[in-house]
Amino acid sequence: VTDRRVACPFCGLVCDDLVASGNGVVDSRGCALGAAGFRRGAVPRRSHAVAGTAVDFATATTAAAVLLKAATAPVFHGLAVDLAGIRALFALAERVGGAVDHLASSALLANAAVARASGWVVATFAEIANRADFILIIGNDPARAFPRFHERLVDNANPLYRAGPPRIAYLGPAEEAPPRVAPSLQADVTRTELLPALAQLGALLHGRRPQSSTEPLRTIASSLAEARYGAIVWTPASFAANEAELAVEQIAAMLRHLNATTRCVGLPLGGSGNGLGAMQASLWQTGWPLRLGFGEGTPRHDPWRFAGDRMLSSDEADALVWATTLVAEAPPATSRPVIALIPDDLVLPSPAAIEIRVGMPGIDHDGEIFRSDTVIALPLQATRPSDRPSVAAAASAILAKLQALP
Amino acid sequence: MRKRLVDARLLDPTQGAAEKLGDLWIEDGRIVDPPADGKPADEELDLSGHLVMAGAIDIHSHIAGGKVNLGRLLAATDHRDHPAFAGDGLRGGSGLATPSTFTTGYRYAAMGYTAAFEPAMVAANARAAHLEMVDVPILDKGAYVMLGNDEFLLRRLAAGAGQSEINDYVAWLVQATAAHAVKVVNAGGISAFKFNKRGLEIDEPGPHHGVTPRTILRSLARAVHELGIPHPLHVHCNNLGIPGNVATTLATIDAAEGLPIHLTHVQFHSYGTEGKRGFSSAAAQIAEAVNRNGNVSVDVGQVVFGPTMTESGDTQAQFRNRGHADPDKWISMDIECDAGCGLVPFRYRDKNFVNALQWAIGLELFLLVEDPWRIFLTTDHPNGGPFASYPQLVRLLMDRSFREECLSRLHPAARKASLLSGLPREYTMEEIAILTRAGPARTLGLADRGRLTAGALADLAVYRPQSDLEAMFRTPVRVFKSGIEVAREGRVTAVSQGATQRVRPGYDRQIESGVRRFFDDHMSVGFSHFALADAELLDAGGRLEEHACRTGATP
Repeated sequence: VTDRRVACPFCGLVCDDLVASGNGVVDSRGCALGAAGFRRGAVPRRSHAVAGTAVDFATATTAAAVLLKAATAPVFHGLAVDLAGIRALFALAERVGGAVDHLASSALLANAAVARASGWVVATFAEIANRADFILIIGNDPARAFPRFHERLVDNANPLYRAGPPRIAYLGPAEEAPPRVAPSLQADVTRTELLPALAQLGALLHGRRPQSSTEPLRTIASSLAEARYGAIVWTPASFAANEAELAVEQIAAMLRHLNATTRCVGLPLGGSGNGLGAMQASLWQTGWPLRLGFGEGTPRHDPWRFAGDRMLSSDEADALVWATTLVAEAPPATSRPVIALIPDDLVLPSPAAIEIRVGMPGIDHDGEIFRSDTVIALPLQATRPSDRPSVAAAASAILAKLQALP
Repeated sequence: MRKRLVDARLLDPTQGAAEKLGDLWIEDGRIVDPPADGKPADEELDLSGHLVMAGAIDIHSHIAGGKVNLGRLLAATDHRDHPAFAGDGLRGGSGLATPSTFTTGYRYAAMGYTAAFEPAMVAANARAAHLEMVDVPILDKGAYVMLGNDEFLLRRLAAGAGQSEINDYVAWLVQATAAHAVKVVNAGGISAFKFNKRGLEIDEPGPHHGVTPRTILRSLARAVHELGIPHPLHVHCNNLGIPGNVATTLATIDAAEGLPIHLTHVQFHSYGTEGKRGFSSAAAQIAEAVNRNGNVSVDVGQVVFGPTMTESGDTQAQFRNRGHADPDKWISMDIECDAGCGLVPFRYRDKNFVNALQWAIGLELFLLVEDPWRIFLTTDHPNGGPFASYPQLVRLLMDRSFREECLSRLHPAARKASLLSGLPREYTMEEIAILTRAGPARTLGLADRGRLTAGALADLAVYRPQSDLEAMFRTPVRVFKSGIEVAREGRVTAVSQGATQRVRPGYDRQIESGVRRFFDDHMSVGFSHFALADAELLDAGGRLEEHACRTGATP
């Protein structure tokens, strides 16, 4: 068995230069997040369980079908699974009239809401890595959530179009700044000052001189206007939750304005746990972004009404299907019965009514996952193949049993 | 299971112009000769008085891929206004201009269509686009991969690469992306836009590489021809939408140097600069060039009045048109040193001079191009309008009085500027059958589709002839896909999984080492993960069907 180049599903960068050896060990190229992710496969197997009692797959999926058939307002949440899993969960959710959410949807929705309402100018990784001569990072160092961000998008040793490394600027809290930002290009603001700073930056780009603007902010503005191919990078999760959409809207306005004369593109980062895969499949299968409700017979979209956490905390939901493999996260606390589709390494603080132990894409089985830049889906290969059912197989089995119920 | 459709009026332009009264026998999903054993059919369907044609095939419809999803994201109103309900074995969905995948398949099938081709697949998006198309039910589908703004091609052309290397690269890419044909969008212009160049003329060297659009067009047209790919190079010309772009379109025909070339949504490329508004119809010039050059085919990209979404790989044009966005929002995206996409919502208005003339220009093209085998019925869905408006378009072609009535409602100056009222031509039923099924099957190399002969797939549309041609084509009485009834009287009755159509041109594997080095050195996806594996489509529930490339093409 020879070494294989494999893709890593544990953040939205989906680096695909990792090396898997025949014995299931994956060299994650120095990425701690990736290394930890692939180690998750090396755990003892746990049993499927109903009410805490070990059962076989058929019994567990039948119990899930019975539970879902009786539910009137089930929520499908988590969804940090591969594309096949997402498609199968949507089919099941539609059949039982459920609501659908993704555990990282808040950040994605801030981006999607702005793209929907006003549009923007964006680019994919290879454009930025090869072309950007000036990169403005807003909010925090993307490497905190996307460990190889700088290596992959900034420190390109072989850029196709630009000479030398890009200049890096930063607007955000000083303690979360990325490395190697020149002091003249670092505009330190606290999290609460971020929105006003963005407003000032927008005004500067329009040729106005707000008195409160700082020297670094003015330098950033002139650099954006002078750059041949600028890039603005942000992670919505780095903004205060109630300000993310407003911040993204201001960035989008700057991008629209800058492109009237030069080129400048946005790179909204997010979508770990295949959140972009969930968003894309939602758009193509229903015409709507997440969050979805299938209860009215036609898919409806409402980011507040179909928020999984809210539906659970308000007891509006009467059952939860919690499916996550790529992110090891327990479901939100709820008094409602939970059907958990989770891998072996995830031990829930309180056992779910039904636990179906599933495999992980990229470890137990093959799959596909979308990157943060939305265009590109990458194949995941089993690095430690097992007979664990995939989420797709489990969801499809539940659907088949549900259809066979009297 | 042997099925017999009895006493139908069979219309198959590949077998001559006349309808033939007769029976159609179906077995194992295909049309068969009447059984020699004289055994009766297991099932008989009396179709007396009904017209039967092969299932229709849309050669250019944006039904899937990243830009279509962005269109759906932007088009909230379209989706709110057009909900589709789940039930009776059908999945739910929404949308008219940018319908969701299940809805797309059902709606096409109910209209008598059995195949549709996504004409602008970004290579880097191929995996996603194909997996999305698995969720388009019933229809056979396929995709044209976009070339002509991709770094590898441009750098190799700049370095003076020979035609055989270009051929190998094109063939490799077609195989890696499971494509059915090759498309070029605004040759060099999308790349130029990334260098902040807002337009690119056909003999103008592009930034960085210094390669002209003419060079790109010529080498790609030649590659497609020499590889024997059935459908000619599918060309979205430079300068889309710009008054006076007729010169660019004629120069594009010239650039093909007599090799087969297909000009897509040519309505958007048939504009002159005459009149006090500086915008005029050049449909007559384009039609004359098509009539004169047997190597050229076109699809129209007819405009339909109402709201829609424009979705294009042509970032340069879409950015230029952002001021027309209605509602005022738009998206532009640069993709992987390879391609791009631009989304601009749009509303075509019959009282707007330019829109009204665009509508007339499309119809002028339909009526002035003489050979129905070299023109295809499209709205460039959804760029000119939703595919659901095809039945109305058929009526416009077949019914002059209806056309005159529509013309009378247009902006008066547009009415005056158009030749339309002086064009008496009415399409015959046979010509419609050529435009919508026999012609598309022929140009795409789908040898067993678009016809009613033994051995062909039993993809069939059964119509009830009536004076209201729009109603006739909107609601076929029955539709069969591979012999199975999938729709009846406008309702989907069974859901099947169509197959992804593709071609696999041969190439010298040596090209892969250069491409591998390029991907591994510069791109964000490694060579080993770029190509879509058949197993990925099959595991997702898809099917694949390969069509032969022509042999004997001269390299």
